[in-house]
Amino acid sequence: MTGEIFVYQSQHWHLLPERAIYWQEEQALIISDLHLGKATHFRKAGIAVPTGIVEEDLLRLQRLITRLQPTQIIIVGDMFHSRENSEVQYFKIWRQQFPHIIFHLVVGNHDIMPAEIYGNLQITTSPHLTIRDIHFIHEPCEDANGYTYTFSGHLHPGYVMAGPAKQRLRLPCFYFGRHCGILPAFGDFTGMASVDASPGEAVFVIAGQSVVRAQ
Amino acid sequence: MKGHQVITEWLAGKELQPFQFQQEAWEAYLQGKSGLVNAPTGFGKTFSLFLGAVIAWIDAHPKDYQKKKKNGLQLMWITPLRALAKDIARAMSEVLDELGIPWQVGIRSGDTSTATRAAQKKQMPEILLITPESMHILLAQRDYPAHFQHLHTVVADEWHELIGTKRGVLVELALSRLRGLAIQENRPPLKVWGISATIGNLDEAMQVLLGPYHNDGIIIKALLRKKIALTSVIPTEMENYPWAGHLGLKMLPQAIPIIKESQTTLLFTNTRSQSEIWYQSLLTHCPELAGAIALHHGSMDMELRVWVEEALHNGILKVVVCTASLDLGVDFRPVDTVIQVGSPKGVARFLQRAGRSGHQPDAVSKIYFLPTHALELVEAAALKAAMEQELIESRMPVLLAWDVLLQYLMTLAVSDGFHATDIWEEVRKTYCYQHITPEDWQWLLAFLTTGGEALSGYDEFKKVERSGNYYRCTSRVLAMRHRLHIGTIVSDVMMKVKFLSGGYVGVIEEGFISRLQPGESFTLAGRNLEFVMTKDMTALVRKSTSKKTIVPSWQGGRIPLSSNLGKMLRQKFNEALSRRTKDPELIALQPLFQLQEDLSHVPKDDELLIEHIDTKDGYHLFCFPFEGRLVHEVMAALLAYRISRIQPITFSIAMNDYGFELLSDQPIPVTAENAKALLSLENLNTELQASVNSTEMARRKFRDIAVIAGLIFQGYPGKSKANRHLQASSSLIFNVFRDYDPHNLLLQQAFNEAFFYQMEEARLRETLERIAISKIVITRPERLTPFCFPIKVDSLRDTMTSEKLEDRIKKLIAANA
Repeated sequence: MTGEIFVYQSQHWHLLPERAIYWQEEQALIISDLHLGKATHFRKAGIAVPTGIVEEDLLRLQRLITRLQPTQIIIVGDMFHSRENSEVQYFKIWRQQFPHIIFHLVVGNHDIMPAEIYGNLQITTSPHLTIRDIHFIHEPCEDANGYTYTFSGHLHPGYVMAGPAKQRLRLPCFYFGRHCGILPAFGDFTGMASVDASPGEAVFVIAGQSVVRAQ
Repeated sequence: MKGHQVITEWLAGKELQPFQFQQEAWEAYLQGKSGLVNAPTGFGKTFSLFLGAVIAWIDAHPKDYQKKKKNGLQLMWITPLRALAKDIARAMSEVLDELGIPWQVGIRSGDTSTATRAAQKKQMPEILLITPESMHILLAQRDYPAHFQHLHTVVADEWHELIGTKRGVLVELALSRLRGLAIQENRPPLKVWGISATIGNLDEAMQVLLGPYHNDGIIIKALLRKKIALTSVIPTEMENYPWAGHLGLKMLPQAIPIIKESQTTLLFTNTRSQSEIWYQSLLTHCPELAGAIALHHGSMDMELRVWVEEALHNGILKVVVCTASLDLGVDFRPVDTVIQVGSPKGVARFLQRAGRSGHQPDAVSKIYFLPTHALELVEAAALKAAMEQELIESRMPVLLAWDVLLQYLMTLAVSDGFHATDIWEEVRKTYCYQHITPEDWQWLLAFLTTGGEALSGYDEFKKVERSGNYYRCTSRVLAMRHRLHIGTIVSDVMMKVKFLSGGYVGVIEEGFISRLQPGESFTLAGRNLEFVMTKDMTALVRKSTSKKTIVPSWQGGRIPLSSNLGKMLRQKFNEALSRRTKDPELIALQPLFQLQEDLSHVPKDDELLIEHIDTKDGYHLFCFPFEGRLVHEVMAALLAYRISRIQPITFSIAMNDYGFELLSDQPIPVTAENAKALLSLENLNTELQASVNSTEMARRKFRDIAVIAGLIFQGYPGKSKANRHLQASSSLIFNVFRDYDPHNLLLQQAFNEAFFYQMEEARLRETLERIAISKIVITRPERLTPFCFPIKVDSLRDTMTSEKLEDRIKKLIAANA
């Protein structure tokens, strides 16, 4: 397996260049901010972004699933971008390949579809989720919240690396704050926001096909 | 004929005689010709064509020309600036009144009230002054052809300002439709005239306006010259004057006496942020100016700008700090002095600004040049020489701007719909789209109807519907959004700035606001404001008492040195060290040049200087072609790319108008032996593609393109969450086009624009040809030289690498550890 195994809070977190975390102890794949349906949402409004993004995103997820064989997938919010559209149908068909895998969606601010649609897609939803005292909630928390650790999304974090000769590079990253870790956005049609990491916090950047600890 | 007699008598009654060029223009106009009038401002260029149309009207209705009302739109007068329209309308109305002709003169721009618009819809005035954007808004209305049934003449005023811009393309497209309507309705061909200040390519400017298939155009030149007196203000402490900088505040004490001794002064700065800073500083130094000083730039509230313009007219103001926003030809009679802070970077722009003072035909235009850093004084000397030799820049017309064409097709689709074959014929006869292929055209139509994809069961793309050859947009929401969107040919996503208590301050770049934290203060329109929050694409602010404020730097404020001025500049360096020079600027700079010569070398115009300097930042290579920032950016990328093929290496690149810098963490292997080869023309095309691909130029160009083509949803207040879900940055859309739709024409346009406009490819070629026959002088100065200093401390930066991403990261990590 490529990527980086980060042992933290007595758990093994496989940080993957596909912009996902594999949680070894739970055999769970953790992703965030897929924004499925975003391209079609734009296209319905007459903004001609290309099609094919959802296919690529789901193919990447599919490859991860077949390679890692997780029993469950935890999505830390913003799985879908907006209202229901044809990409949701595409996902439904795609979903049928993995009927045995549980999809937990921790609802994000973009997840505005009616509850029954998630039911039809065999996705369980909840505002947050806690496993082994690891807490999952969409929007990052700044302070300690009583759990061992928290994972969030929402931010689409990117990390700016500066070097000699005024070099500068911004890459998607996994950010491990004191209380809260933030996952990179899984979807390809998403932007990035720079995070400032304090000393002592871990940051892993995704550099092409590998994951590198930057701090 | 009667008309000519009426006008001559009317002028004689005012003891005026028409200029020769005016008479020539009337004659050509009466013969039914189209063409271009070339005259400096302040010499009655408006009357050359306006009176022509009046004469023709009197000739056609010799008995009842003073009675006929409601004649429909006869003459459309395009102005690039709303402020100009009012001025011209006033002048025209006065003339019509005196002649007893009951024509209406109307204005149509973004500021025109809804009531006026509605009245115009019912009955068009005989003369309509209009901006390019508003022409398209008219074309976006149902039954638009009805407005133009009587239209026989279109005049594009200040055409030199529009040609070379996408707003100029808007004019070309609107004219193509108006010509097409005349043909469809069997009317005589439309007469089209331009009015232009002197530019290097007047013939081409006319071709663009009349179209490449028109061969009967005439250029009428006014053989009048504006007298200009340029004075450089030499810093009193020349020895201590900074080597770098772009604000010029050190010169403020020397500017104040000039302002005080003049009636009214326009103080031009090159960027909006600079104007904000100068305004504040002038007020601090001269509190007595309060009430008599104003600020004018493109990000300020329209009303405030209009007030400033009126106040200038009425002579209330002593000084106005402004940017290019006051470049254009409004006649501010009280202005007798112009101060230019920093180099204007081009001869044409300098002449234009100088012409803002002494607007009367015989008056001398007084302009003072204030350098912002020492070397800039050479630019003043170069400007003077270029003015004497009338080396005025050309404005290159825009070609194949797909974004504008898509916007135009959507405009037609939301009004009456369009027949693709008719519009194809019209569009391909414009200058801009003369090389469009049928394949391009099909792609554009597909982009509007299917979103660029073959129809698939899943796709829900919706914009324009097609039935046979007829294209129309039936969605009211989309139509409304498009109408709001026309005219947003602005370079950036701008955000409104409003007070919490209501009250509009101006606009500001979204990127600036997004970097502000609530509670931080910034300066806009001369006010100190505290940022509170953003809401619905509006930044809410309150008045700030903070002494420390951030002045936003607006993108794109810096204009590169023109090639004419660059050439002059190199010649001035020749003179610099000779003891023969008479230019006061060069004499003042002698010590600086001597230091440059002692540390390194002052290049002659057949030499290219390269400096290798090592500092704690790394290994620097400075190169001085004096060709302007844009050419330097590309040359730097090209050189960096070529070096990086010798060995894996990463550069940080910086440039200004004089030269560029490559900075690396390893020594840069450029030597006397390989320099010529590294700067050769060989494989230029392919290597440029490769080096440019690795920079962000195309992505930057795509920002405008995405906005104009309607890919950026700009939102409107108070709408639902689903609308917010339509927001994406142009950079993100650029990424998905690149990854999922690389043949997209808009993406290609971004690369082409980068190539032709951003990189100034033609100019780069000339530069490399020049370097090929030049002597390359390589020096290794012990410390930073006067030439390289401004590049190092005050310039824009970019990166170029041939190292693998993973390797770069490892190095960055190692460096940080």
